[in-house]
Amino acid sequence: MLRDRHFWMVVVAGLLLGGLGALLAVWGNPENSGICVSCFIENSAGALGMHDNSRMQYLRPELIGFVLGAMASALLFREFRSRGGSAPLPRLFAGIFLMVGCGVFIGCPIKLFLRLTAGDLTAVAGVAGLVAGVWAGLRGLANGVELGQPSRGQGHGGPLIPVFFILLLFFLFVRPGFILFSTQGSAAQHAPVPIALGAGVVLGALAQRSRFCITGSIRDVFLMGKRTPALWGVLAFLAAAVAANIATGRYNPGLLGQPGAHLEHLWSFLGMGLVGWISVLIGGCPFRQLIKAGEGDADAGLVVVGMFIGGALVQSWGIAATAAGVSLAGKVAILAGFASILATSLLFRTRSI
Amino acid sequence: MLNDTFDKITWLLLAVVIAALAALLAMNHGAGDGKAAGLGKAVEREMAYRARIELIGKLYGPVEELRKAGKNQEALLKLDELIRKYPGEAHGHILQGEILREMGALDEAVASFEAGVKLNGDYVDAKSPLSRRGTIQGLVDEGLKSVGGRAAANPGNRSLAASLRRVNYLKSRLAGGCE
Repeated sequence: MLRDRHFWMVVVAGLLLGGLGALLAVWGNPENSGICVSCFIENSAGALGMHDNSRMQYLRPELIGFVLGAMASALLFREFRSRGGSAPLPRLFAGIFLMVGCGVFIGCPIKLFLRLTAGDLTAVAGVAGLVAGVWAGLRGLANGVELGQPSRGQGHGGPLIPVFFILLLFFLFVRPGFILFSTQGSAAQHAPVPIALGAGVVLGALAQRSRFCITGSIRDVFLMGKRTPALWGVLAFLAAAVAANIATGRYNPGLLGQPGAHLEHLWSFLGMGLVGWISVLIGGCPFRQLIKAGEGDADAGLVVVGMFIGGALVQSWGIAATAAGVSLAGKVAILAGFASILATSLLFRTRSI
Repeated sequence: MLNDTFDKITWLLLAVVIAALAALLAMNHGAGDGKAAGLGKAVEREMAYRARIELIGKLYGPVEELRKAGKNQEALLKLDELIRKYPGEAHGHILQGEILREMGALDEAVASFEAGVKLNGDYVDAKSPLSRRGTIQGLVDEGLKSVGGRAAANPGNRSLAASLRRVNYLKSRLAGGCE
């Protein structure tokens, strides 16, 4: 395995994702949120005027960088292929419920591990939930639940999402009046644009080449055990993030008073459980969906659109949890998400009898 | 994609539309400032924010005057009235917390600050004109020692446990995070 180029690519991707994830918070992003795809999508949806939480509106350059980095890498290595057509509407709703799960936990799977490596022990329930969710998703796949195979062709509109993100990049630099930028709250905290964009592009390109993502790694460990390079990618992520957090004095182990965390462990477990389960069925966590959308995958593109809608809804409808806890709307949305995924499992199951 | 006349015409029209779009944007560059495009939502919001701060100053001015005159009890009564009148406004809770802390009622002060910060997170932002970050940090430090110590000594006391939970909520908000 050590002589395998892909293995080292995954390890480097893990190292950079963990290291930059911790350092971007040092450079200005909110605490423990150096990289958080769900927070970034909520911020970006707010910047586009899709919700009115004036503390959560900023076009996050990292998000744009992920997609455009993946697109550049896919074009450079001739892997950009327009493909799609597999259960578009269920994928759109999957994107919405991904954001519900992340909103209730307060963070995506990348932030889950960033929180853990900064000593936030409330994230342990989320890790357990994510692992359980991935396991449940795999049980579904093993029993014939599948959204269908995508087909290739220009008709799927694979380039549309990359073009949309080029437009967002234009908005980021030109800052037209209809794009909102928070002056208070967590969205007002951000790393300098060149650093954030550069980090996003590098991580997007590396993730495109290595196919590395957190949820996919857990899935691969279930399937292949220690033989999967993804395991080493996750370990590299954890080592880099812990080292960066300790080196910058941001390692504060404990359950209480953690940044952007609540103590409703059951709902943290269920939130990440929902994210893990959905991610397995649609082929990757929120970060991976962005990367695939950058490669011309229109199915992933629809998940990204769903995530923007979800990002707006979790803020507008009070679904997102806060340090005060999980709202009734958040709990209802999580249960609706599980109902949706269970119904999808029944409807999209290929039965042998 | 350039096989027949239809393709060629479509390409030509596409080029014309893109050129027209570019020309339109170039000719109107900067023309929207303060005019047709309005001031921009961000500027409008900033103005509304400043107006709100001025309104808060006027609304709670009598309370501040009572505080300066050392009439804390009267100030608290006035605040009760204002909190009932404007239940969604956080500033009353924050002033209430400040007065209660001055009077030595730590647990009650923590409860008031918690209510205020839940309504409006600006009070924990360092850059906000409304910021009470230093005060809240002091309250959390004192609360962890005082309330934490009492809660540890009386593990079955629900009221102390709730107070400690409030202190930890404020600590969590001071720590930051994305919410």
